[in-house]
Amino acid sequence: MTNVLTVKNLGKSFKLKQIIKNISFDVRKGEIMAILGPNGAGKSTTIRTIMGIMYPDEGSIEFNGHAENEIPRQKIGYLPEERGLYKNVKVMDMILYLADLKDYPKKKAKERALSYLAKFGLEGKDKVSVEELSKGMGQKVQFIASIIHEPELLILDEPFSGLDPVSQETFKQEIRELANNGTAILLSSHQMNVVEELCDRLYMIHRGEKVIYGAMEDVKNEYANFKCTIKGQNPITLLETIPNVLRIEQNGDVTVLYLTQDVIVPLWLRKLPEQLTVQELSIDKISLHEIFIDIATDQHQLPEGVGSHA
Amino acid sequence: MRNSLKVAKWEIKRNMTNKSFIISLLSTPVIFLAFLFIPMLFDKSNSEENVSVYLYDELGIWNEVQEVVNESEINNWTLMQTKIQEAEMQNDLPDMEQSVYIALTEAGLEQGQIKMYMSDDLDKLSPYEASILEQPLRQLQLERLGLSEIQKETIANQVSVVPVSVDEAEAKGVALGEADPLKRIIPGAFAGVILFSIVMTGMMIFQSASQEKKEKVAEIILSSLTPVELMQGKIIGYFILGITQVIVWLAVALPAIMWRFELPLMEYLLVPELFLLLFIAFAGYLLFAAIFVAIGSTVEDMTATSNFQGMVIMLPFLPLIFIGPILADPSGVIAQVGSFIPVTAPAILLLRLSLLEEWPWVEIGIAVVILVISIWLFMKLAGKIFKTGILMYGKNATPKEIWKWMWA
Repeated sequence: MTNVLTVKNLGKSFKLKQIIKNISFDVRKGEIMAILGPNGAGKSTTIRTIMGIMYPDEGSIEFNGHAENEIPRQKIGYLPEERGLYKNVKVMDMILYLADLKDYPKKKAKERALSYLAKFGLEGKDKVSVEELSKGMGQKVQFIASIIHEPELLILDEPFSGLDPVSQETFKQEIRELANNGTAILLSSHQMNVVEELCDRLYMIHRGEKVIYGAMEDVKNEYANFKCTIKGQNPITLLETIPNVLRIEQNGDVTVLYLTQDVIVPLWLRKLPEQLTVQELSIDKISLHEIFIDIATDQHQLPEGVGSHA
Repeated sequence: MRNSLKVAKWEIKRNMTNKSFIISLLSTPVIFLAFLFIPMLFDKSNSEENVSVYLYDELGIWNEVQEVVNESEINNWTLMQTKIQEAEMQNDLPDMEQSVYIALTEAGLEQGQIKMYMSDDLDKLSPYEASILEQPLRQLQLERLGLSEIQKETIANQVSVVPVSVDEAEAKGVALGEADPLKRIIPGAFAGVILFSIVMTGMMIFQSASQEKKEKVAEIILSSLTPVELMQGKIIGYFILGITQVIVWLAVALPAIMWRFELPLMEYLLVPELFLLLFIAFAGYLLFAAIFVAIGSTVEDMTATSNFQGMVIMLPFLPLIFIGPILADPSGVIAQVGSFIPVTAPAILLLRLSLLEEWPWVEIGIAVVILVISIWLFMKLAGKIFKTGILMYGKNATPKEIWKWMWA
């Protein structure tokens, strides 16, 4: 797959504080790439820098072979985290204005807008004033405006925030469809389950620096070790005797044992002590959500490898 | 520039389809016409009613009075000679309507006071109407003194003192008293109206920039164009809106004024000096537009803003405090200083140029250069403030922050 966007060693400081440092990744044609990180990690700064809304202090951005000062912005679609629409205008006028700013033909934009409005359940709302829309409807219109001009690269900053599950599903489907049609998508989200489900690759950022970068499957394989959840009253002294355990978390009668990467689950199960009280037992892999929480809260208690560079 | 024009087009379209803008666009000329014509209707109803003027002519100037009244603009007087004495008429008048009794008596002439009695329904006569008989009475006084024609003419010609500065007298070599003040006032007032209207419309830039921030549209827009293009687009858009507003207003006001006051407005307006006056008006707009757009981008909630932003918004009204001294002396120190301060220069220059018969070209030149440099500088600084301010969602910027952005 060809690289649509290449970010190299991006750095940006405000006053004396370095917000992002050495940020390097690429987004390929037809893939969905996630940029993750806790609040204040530097995701929006990275995105705003890519969009040319902020200027980087260091590093370079390249879009389809164009250097950062020559990037054709009309080829990029952008849905910012902090977003809104002019209140006292009609939905169609708003979409057409944003399409016009992207140099997209009016007639084509109108056709596409009508078809997307219908697709998102907003049929007949084209002549309605924006202020009459609900928050969710407004979000859909913003999303339509960001893709109306058939961008080659689509940057979505928290596209699912504030959406109900049905609308989230519609958005997910549309994002997938756009990627299948060749659009390169860079997506930022706090909903790890959605990211896990939707994205091909991820770039996790913390305190302005990269912590994880790679394909979703690789990251899961590499970092997401097994964990064993046991329901039953068990003394910690007994739990500490169990082999291949990196960390023990106890909450009432529920214990979570984080296992080492090299563990072979059937063999490990056989090694469990006979005195162990087991009302329920389950074994599953550590989710992206847990990796995220671990990094965001600076616990770094997850199995080795997690939190280090990919 | 193409992107700026797109923004300008959008701002124009957005406002032109906005009800409150359309109402203000159309209601202002209607209000103006109402102010112009409603008092006229009342005037007419009073003045059109016929007034019977009874003259008790003891002095024998009936013919002269008739002649003077006929030549005057008074067309609702019916002059009648009467033999009724003053005392008797004072009793009758309260029962009469629309009547005036003038006692042209020897005693009155001697005392220098001719009495004019009016029926109750007439409040008073206009100063012009009241003074209409002064001329024949004065003539009679002079005749009775037995003066020669030359002596009478000399007395009739009043002597007036006209201040003339040496420079002006040398340069012009003509009596300044003959100059028509409207020649300067009308183009000046015209440019003043344009400055006022476009600056008022320019204030909408403030709201527009503030709204962009409040409604969080800025980032979406800025993903397609640069902050400077967005700012320029707003300035151009509101300039066109302001001019449209002025054109609509003037299209109604000018013919109305021409008709009402019988003034050859076009003759006064279509002079080369108008170009300079309009240039000053447009320069004033650009200066204030830069200020408004920058300050607007720092304010999200006008109700929670600091006094600083409020004070800046009031800047266009600053020249008002200089109006008194400038009217008293359009070439004085205050007028000169005001012409060199960028925010007061446009209004003060227009005011001075409307009052001064001879324009101080050197001062105008310096003031215009200062104004143009200020516009350039203000636009640069506005660009810097706008760029940062427009994306700072959720709070109003403090003066300290604005200062930092300006020099960042």
